[in-house]
Amino acid sequence: MRKLFIILGIIASVLALVLAVLPLSNLAYFPAIAALLFGLMAFYISNKNSQSVKTVQLVFLLTIIALSISIYKSIFQTVEVGNTEELQVREQQSEEEAIEELEDLDLEDLDLE
Amino acid sequence: MLKYVFILSLMLPSWAFSQNSAFKAGEKLSFTASYNMSGVLTELAQVNMETSEVKTSKATLLRLKCTATTYSKWDSFFKIRDLYESYVSPTSVKPYLYKRDIYEGGYTKFVQYKYSHSKGTVESLIRKKKKGGGTYDQNKTLNISSSTKDIVSTIYYLRTLNLSSYAPGKNMSLTVLFDNKPTEIVISYLGKETINTNIGSKTCYKLAISIKNSNVLKGTNDNLLWLTADENKIPVFAKFKVAVGNGELKIKSATGLKN
Repeated sequence: MRKLFIILGIIASVLALVLAVLPLSNLAYFPAIAALLFGLMAFYISNKNSQSVKTVQLVFLLTIIALSISIYKSIFQTVEVGNTEELQVREQQSEEEAIEELEDLDLEDLDLE
Repeated sequence: MLKYVFILSLMLPSWAFSQNSAFKAGEKLSFTASYNMSGVLTELAQVNMETSEVKTSKATLLRLKCTATTYSKWDSFFKIRDLYESYVSPTSVKPYLYKRDIYEGGYTKFVQYKYSHSKGTVESLIRKKKKGGGTYDQNKTLNISSSTKDIVSTIYYLRTLNLSSYAPGKNMSLTVLFDNKPTEIVISYLGKETINTNIGSKTCYKLAISIKNSNVLKGTNDNLLWLTADENKIPVFAKFKVAVGNGELKIKSATGLKN
């Protein structure tokens, strides 16, 4: 039982850490909470049977790192649009091309004001 | 008899040209698109919708431009730079030229529809990248009905509808040309609702959108669109449900409004 909780705890905490590093850091909270719960269970069982808690501490450590990264990101990272220069050039070009295309079209049925 | 003819002739212009009182050239709407997972929102991209005037030697058209740009934190994973354009009549929002130029994580595609309403056809051009480099074109002529629109002009067309006269539960179907296929979408008016947005608390018309014979959008009444219940009918909030989760589109700013 203890082993199962430790394994689950490690998997969840590693997943939390990976998600926290990726731009999806908001989603890291779910595995982080799961890892904490598994860790606590493993810690409780280990203490009861007076077994080593070293690996359980590892689970906690990883989870705390993951949580601090995601909390830091959610507070300090502002969302901003990346480089759109290329898109703006495309928009400009597209409009120029469109005007040429529209010249060829029959706009006779256009309902003008 | 003559009296009626006179009254009718007075009313005719207002029938014919009263369609678009919702937007004009120079309008700029900015949205944030986010992915929703069990209540945790992850912001993905910024969506802009702009209108501008385009002059040709024969006429003045309205250019409806929609762009989608991923936020910089996503750019190294999945960069999106999409451009959707439609050149429409300023009064009836009838499209004359549609262009879609997308870049999504390395995948590019260019689609152009040239409408010929008198013939009831659309000249379609699809340009894709070849494997070995370079591009190839695919030309086709499609038959359309007089009310067929593209995706961009459909969004704007919804704003020109007189929603205040609709009874809750009313359905309406529109034909949208997408990927060379005329797709029928059904819009149902659900009623009025007041919601909080970034541009203040707004009373809105709530619309549900579904696509016929397609399972892209999931659920019934889970794909919703809120348009402000004023003359401008700004789309302020949209919710959609697809196979991989829920998404949201929230307004960030609105400038250059008509009313």
